[in-house]
Amino acid sequence: MRRRSFLKAAGAGGVSALLAGCTGTGGEQTTTEASGDTTETTTATTTEGTTAGGESPTLTVGTYGSFVDAPSSSPGPWLKETFESEFDATLEWQTPDSGVNYYIERALQGVESGADLYVGLDAQMLVRIDQKLDEALFSPAEGLSRADEVNEQLNFDPQGRAVPYDTGYISLVYNETYGDGDFVAPETFDGLLESEYAGALLAQNPTSSATGQAFLLHTIDAKGEDGYLDYWASLKENDVRVLGDWEDSYNAYSNGEAPMVVSYSTDQVFAAESGEDMAKHQIRFLNDEGYANPEGMAHFADASNPDLAAEFMDFMLRPEVQAEIAVRNVQFPATTTAELPEDFAQYAQEPPEAVTFSYDRLQNNLSDWTDAWAREFARK
Amino acid sequence: MSRVSVRRVARVLEQRLLTLVAALTAVVLLVLFYYPVATVFADAVLVDGRLTVEPIATILTSEFYLVDIIWFTAKQAFYSTLASLALGLPAAWLFSRFEFRGRETLRSLTILPFVMPSIMVAIGFVATFGRNGTLNRALSAVGLPPVELLFTLEAIIVAHAFYNAPLVARVVTAAWESVDARTVETARSLGANPRRAFRDVVLPQLLPSIGVGATLTFIFTFASFPIVLALGGFQLATIEVFVYSRVRDLAYAEAASLAVIETVISITLTAVYLRYEASQRSAGGAANPLPRRSVVPSDWTPKSTLRTVGIAGYALVVGLVFVVPIASMILASVTGGDGGFTLANYAFLVERQATGASFQVKPLPAILNSLAFAAGTLVVAVPMGVVMAVLTTRRYRGRGLIDVLSMAPFAVSGIVVGLGLLRGLVFGVDVLGTRIRVTGALAIVAAHAVGAYPFVTRNVAPLFARLDGRLVESARSLGATRTRALVDIELPLVWTGVVAGAAFAVAISIGEFDSTIILAEGAGSYTMPIAVERFLGRRLGPATAMGCLLLLVTSASFLVVDRFGGRWGEL
Repeated sequence: MRRRSFLKAAGAGGVSALLAGCTGTGGEQTTTEASGDTTETTTATTTEGTTAGGESPTLTVGTYGSFVDAPSSSPGPWLKETFESEFDATLEWQTPDSGVNYYIERALQGVESGADLYVGLDAQMLVRIDQKLDEALFSPAEGLSRADEVNEQLNFDPQGRAVPYDTGYISLVYNETYGDGDFVAPETFDGLLESEYAGALLAQNPTSSATGQAFLLHTIDAKGEDGYLDYWASLKENDVRVLGDWEDSYNAYSNGEAPMVVSYSTDQVFAAESGEDMAKHQIRFLNDEGYANPEGMAHFADASNPDLAAEFMDFMLRPEVQAEIAVRNVQFPATTTAELPEDFAQYAQEPPEAVTFSYDRLQNNLSDWTDAWAREFARK
Repeated sequence: MSRVSVRRVARVLEQRLLTLVAALTAVVLLVLFYYPVATVFADAVLVDGRLTVEPIATILTSEFYLVDIIWFTAKQAFYSTLASLALGLPAAWLFSRFEFRGRETLRSLTILPFVMPSIMVAIGFVATFGRNGTLNRALSAVGLPPVELLFTLEAIIVAHAFYNAPLVARVVTAAWESVDARTVETARSLGANPRRAFRDVVLPQLLPSIGVGATLTFIFTFASFPIVLALGGFQLATIEVFVYSRVRDLAYAEAASLAVIETVISITLTAVYLRYEASQRSAGGAANPLPRRSVVPSDWTPKSTLRTVGIAGYALVVGLVFVVPIASMILASVTGGDGGFTLANYAFLVERQATGASFQVKPLPAILNSLAFAAGTLVVAVPMGVVMAVLTTRRYRGRGLIDVLSMAPFAVSGIVVGLGLLRGLVFGVDVLGTRIRVTGALAIVAAHAVGAYPFVTRNVAPLFARLDGRLVESARSLGATRTRALVDIELPLVWTGVVAGAAFAVAISIGEFDSTIILAEGAGSYTMPIAVERFLGRRLGPATAMGCLLLLVTSASFLVVDRFGGRWGEL
């Protein structure tokens, strides 16, 4: 049974204010169930704008926190405003702390998803979902009018559920002014093992951080399934620092603890924005490659507004929306039709060659690769 | 007539009040702790609905988990405990035996580390102990070689001491201040020298509180996790790091097994300590504290000079470990991307307050929520903790078990509790066809109280144990109810412990993150630590500015709790 609830326009201001209070927009979860039968309506709402009764549907979109609430900029508020101004619908953000795992956990416990759409999937998450759940959490996106505008290489879901809306490249960021002021990052993965780079690289825990995971996958791609553990043993010997999350490592990098950090290739966009010294924000693509981590959106199998969800997905793929998402999320567009503003394009660097593991390659390997890495690296 | 019946009801209530609070405590524990945790621990012993020991056995037979993870975790917790005692005990001595300006304020502020989000501590520590940190700049200024402290076991231990030495200091200070000066005077008059009097009279009265401090420090650092990865790195991974990794990968059997083993170790240690505490029953101990002396001696004998030098040296260490990291964080909040002074980060907070969307975190509601939840926690956790302390000091069958069960919230991984709350309360339980969900402000306060009341119990119980049982017996034989005897006779005598526990309760509530974010119903019920986390970005400014607000608000509320609590006790 669907427990999505809609505000009744007839109820007027007082009621909707009350409901807004307990539905907790953008919070950990909506609590429509708690408020019981009074808010539950069985009204089937059409997705194309207003119905005769004046009810406008609500599209509930799950995503990660910084997509809607980052201190610098985030696409969330702009998307909500723009979408609502055009479609007669309310967009409600949900940002559970554990991201997509929250919805997987709901499914595992036999509870409905409570949302229409999730924004912020990657191939690794899809693998996890398919490994843990027997029943489909997401449905294939069908009938999108702009699906063919998506850069084909970015499609990471063979089942067509997740539609990419942006992509990032994981690379090294390094500080030229480090030490005697002539630091240059190595050009290859092997170069990182040189003694001059001892203790020079800050990375992140691949079992919990997206950048850390991408960097691990990149080493597996470069060194092979059979060679990456040896490579990491040498990295460990050369005092690579694998910290908890991206914030930990970027903080240490900013304080000059080490001259290199695993981060995004769009780092200079931020640096330019806040007037930082560009010499401290140089980008290095090891082996001339960057690990591409496209982000996708998919609608839940039990979405109560699948048609509106599809309209939202098409909306996300529009050229002007793509450009806004890219700039505000500091990533690259996923479509071939988007045009980035010039100053953004100037600082956002793309690798000569993008590498990424396909869903099929990750499917039966991701957990094993990561576990083996963790056991090796945490050996005292 | 009605007045008589009101009185009778009041009388019955008074007689039954302890039982009532105890029962409520049990219900709160069951709903917000035992049931949620059970939903997760079940994964360790149930596979496809069948009971099995396989997941736990797999870990216990893995050399990697046993040696590289569990043994290492215990080892670092042991060192962290030693460091916390070394740093905390001198503070207790200073706070309880000396008089100096700002003593009470300083003592109130020792609670601050408790509420600091780990990322704030990481920022402060990198700025203090890093390659270009304050310590190394000071060392090079006096011509000494730099030290590389970050990303080592030592860095983790110092950070653990940052969090836990204040705990040791507070608990031991409370006990030291309630040492009866007459017991020392008697020993001295019987010919004991000061050292002997300390060893034979004072120390035995302090040991239970030192034991509490050490046990809690061990348990907390045994389950430490974000700070380990932020200042140490994955090569120093602890059990909790793996619990988190396994939960994230939804490998619940392994995660739960690791967490069960972690809990069993912590619980066993708690039980050992509680046995010891129960054996420490000495008569005496009224509120007649030892006299304080000035930090600056009136005459400079070799002994007093040595003492003053020691205190100065200790102050230097405290300055480095506590003051500089916190000051660095404040500095970071007013430093711009170009390294210059800026108020932009605070301007950001103001702007977010003014223009933030409803689904975004705003500073003011976060502050107000934190304060409201803290006040609620205080009101709920103090009675819970005091009543559990009373039960703890009574003698009855099965008491040991009750003792241990009531301390369990300390011994279970926060990650497990969070997942359990999600499964048990947020998703809801079907009861007779209705899905019952428990979220929102009340649930948050109850969850905070569960994490906070054991602090009250542990601060109060050792003091209760030292009370002369005949006091209560006399009161009761004169017709006082158990509740009245508690309120009129015992509480005033253990008041320092109650205030110390209350301060912890408030600190636990303000600093709590895991349960709060899970039980919060959207941005409207977010608290200060959640705001700090949300404001983290590539530049740390906005988050550190929010962190400074957190410190400011917390400091102010602690000065109030301690002052008000102290006065109230004197009435």
